[in-house]
Amino acid sequence: MRKAFWLAAALALAGVASAQTFVWPQKWTVAKPSEVKRGGTLRASVISDYRTFNPFITAEAGNVPSIISPYGLVRRDPSTGDWIPYMAESFSVSANKLEITFKIRRGMKWSDGRPITADDWITTWRIHTDKAVGSNSYDSFFIDGKPITLQKIDDYTLRFSYPKPDATAFAVAGFVPWPAHIFGPVYQREGAEGIKKMWTLNEDPNKIVSAGPWLIESYRPGERLVLKRNPAFGEWNKDEAGNPLPYLDRYEIKIVKDTNAQLAEFLAGNIDLLAPSTVDHISQVRQAIQQGRLDATIRVNASPVASSQFMVFNWNKASDPFKQSLFRSEKFRRAMSHVVNRQAVVDIVYGGLGTPMYTSVYPVLTQWINPRVPKYEYNLQEAAKLLAELGFTKKDREGYLVDNRGRRLEFNLATNAGNAQREQMAKLIVDEAKKVGVKVNFSAIDFNTLVGQLLSSGADRPFDAIIIGLSGGDLDWPFGSNVVPCKGNLHMWNKSGQCLDPRETQLDALYSRGRTELDFQKRREIGFQMQQIEAQLLPVIYIAGPNYHPAWNNRLGGEHPEALISAIWGQRQLELTFIKK
Amino acid sequence: MTAYILRRILYLIPTFFGATFLAFLIIQLAPGDYLTQLELDPKVTPETIARLRAQFGLDRPIYEQYLLWMNNLLHLNLGYSFAYQAPVLEVIWPRVVNSMVIVIPSTLLLYLVAIPIGVYGAVRQYSLGDRILSFLAYVGLSVPSFFLALIAIYLLLQIKFRTGTLIFPVSGMTSSGFEQLPPLRQYLDIAWHAVVPVLVATANDIAGLSRLMRGQMLEVLGQDYIRTARAKGLAERVVLYKHAFRNAVIPFVATLGGLLPGLISGAGFVEVVMAWPGITPFFLDAIANQDLYVIAGFLTVSLVLLMIGNLISDLLLAWVDPRIRYE
Repeated sequence: MRKAFWLAAALALAGVASAQTFVWPQKWTVAKPSEVKRGGTLRASVISDYRTFNPFITAEAGNVPSIISPYGLVRRDPSTGDWIPYMAESFSVSANKLEITFKIRRGMKWSDGRPITADDWITTWRIHTDKAVGSNSYDSFFIDGKPITLQKIDDYTLRFSYPKPDATAFAVAGFVPWPAHIFGPVYQREGAEGIKKMWTLNEDPNKIVSAGPWLIESYRPGERLVLKRNPAFGEWNKDEAGNPLPYLDRYEIKIVKDTNAQLAEFLAGNIDLLAPSTVDHISQVRQAIQQGRLDATIRVNASPVASSQFMVFNWNKASDPFKQSLFRSEKFRRAMSHVVNRQAVVDIVYGGLGTPMYTSVYPVLTQWINPRVPKYEYNLQEAAKLLAELGFTKKDREGYLVDNRGRRLEFNLATNAGNAQREQMAKLIVDEAKKVGVKVNFSAIDFNTLVGQLLSSGADRPFDAIIIGLSGGDLDWPFGSNVVPCKGNLHMWNKSGQCLDPRETQLDALYSRGRTELDFQKRREIGFQMQQIEAQLLPVIYIAGPNYHPAWNNRLGGEHPEALISAIWGQRQLELTFIKK
Repeated sequence: MTAYILRRILYLIPTFFGATFLAFLIIQLAPGDYLTQLELDPKVTPETIARLRAQFGLDRPIYEQYLLWMNNLLHLNLGYSFAYQAPVLEVIWPRVVNSMVIVIPSTLLLYLVAIPIGVYGAVRQYSLGDRILSFLAYVGLSVPSFFLALIAIYLLLQIKFRTGTLIFPVSGMTSSGFEQLPPLRQYLDIAWHAVVPVLVATANDIAGLSRLMRGQMLEVLGQDYIRTARAKGLAERVVLYKHAFRNAVIPFVATLGGLLPGLISGAGFVEVVMAWPGITPFFLDAIANQDLYVIAGFLTVSLVLLMIGNLISDLLLAWVDPRIRYE
């Protein structure tokens, strides 16, 4: 009997050993496996409370499912930006580039001990693409309205079929699987309504099953989410010395709704991570460090953040042909770009901690930035000259430019009330424009009204110019699928439903070509070409964006090497983070 | 009396429908809806937004939405939160309970401190003590509570920098590792976290209430019957507490009705600044997101409590003041 037990144990051990492991590369952390300590709690904070544990209905960034289980078949290597196999052990792309076949890693288990197999991906995909569920990921499974399909070849082989070659194919294939044995039966029995009722915030944390590094230990609404290490994850995720990951025992996320309170907690040593965004907060952290009151590290200006701020003119003003022809004039927009003092915006609005922008590609995506695009920098003489070429040579009694028919150069500029940074930008533009004789009437209006105006469509839209921002881009193809195409919902300058300028048509075509181009170098060439056109056409006038300044308490070890710290990759891999003391 | 109560309850019905419809209408009058914020997401298609709008019923006319909601309400269902995809009551109740941890002690403290201060100010009018308390009251009235909370955080941090210990926490309701504590320690931990928010939340109200009490007391002390009482040779203590105080406090009975909705409506901006997981930050979020039924549902609960509270305080008034009779 005892012998049989030992035999069983040995077999079980052999089973564990044969689990194919994913080794977290040494180059992702500054710490060597020998200096690492196990255990301890990482304490972080988040500004807004969580809304659900359900991966299919969650909508906000930084949601709980994406924390407890962040990765799928493939993930990006932060040191290169390349897609590498993760829950897949390997993948192969078919000759016509329309199919990718993934070999799923064997031996991976859900936190409840069930094996992770192809069925989990199939079920997850089915539920995401059920309209009635209302998943936020729904749109990502379609290209131009045609579906991407998944096929189970066997328990450990999956095939993704794309309607056309797609540069963002891996981003789609990298979706996070959820347990088919939990969601599948409910979906079969009760359909979408059943799925929507699952894993609410009131769910017993022990019933939340994860494939990722964390499990939910407890959640107190509005207060704190406590995660604990998932031992099943450590069976196949190891550091280079073979130690199971994550090193930490717990990961606590405190919900602190006010950035001042977050700062106070960081200064008091009660939280370990902070990303201060204002000059004042940064200098308080620096002071505390310099005066020895806080043992912490801050990396000021680590990188720009992946967001943009810009001014957009409305090309669809049938009711006001004068303004419409003005806003559609390239010379006018170029003059307005010369009026925008980007350096002053960086200095005044961001306290010197920002980055000027010239095209739609976020400055943090350094690989994608075309360094040779024309830049229409702050230059009032040049602006005046361009406006004179448009016929605005005389000034009226108040000092504003008028054309030979006496029409004054004047437009309304709006942004959302309460966004102090955008309001400051607008005021800077008003001042500078006045210097060249352009009257800008600025008003701050309610955000939803602003969005309503911006996204209205047709030949006559109810605004002149708006300052707004976008965020959320893609590393594989950093142009917005809703922004560039002329029919796009966020084609904000022209929503007549068709391209008005031949270069819009050209951008539209280049966008589609780039998205179907799988060779990175060639795709980048197309991207460069698009930026060249954007910079000349100036459909929107990019202004500047803030920078990323991560800080951490020095009780933490295992942050990214200096070169990897950026708004895209963050300051560390939590799996490789440990508590020094 | 029973007839009066019944009549009052009948009057409440049109008030209820009027007030809920108005609230519903005003929320809907704000531009955009819960899904507007999604429209600026470059990855979401307009078709998806239209589909979600239909799923949430936001594409229907307002009166239809109101009637549907009213129908749910009559079945004691406050509606569904868009953001949480869960019933409204389920998501607001834990926040309300957290808020009560501040609101109840703060209300008790308020009456315990403000009334004696007011009485003292009236009895010893223009004494040094009265002047100091009046000065503090004016300071308290003029400093907004969120600012007071920021000052409190600043002071706590300075003390921590000087001495290395945090005498009270700078934010939150529980400490890290709370779940591992035994029950008694858990209560103590919450109490320790509540001290500063309770003091901050009370500070403003003390100022107002004590000034009011002082004014009332002064007015009553000037009445003829007080002179009569004193002329009768009654002890000053009896004059003050049996004759003056009892009458001065009557107007406060009328304000007790407001305490009932106040109980659930949170401690205000202190909760935001000190990261207290109460109803205020939650409700502000709901307004910012236009989470329609959370706002409407919460307003309805407050409304019902206000109506009940007013009824109770009217009845209390009749009980304490023999001059008031309801037929």
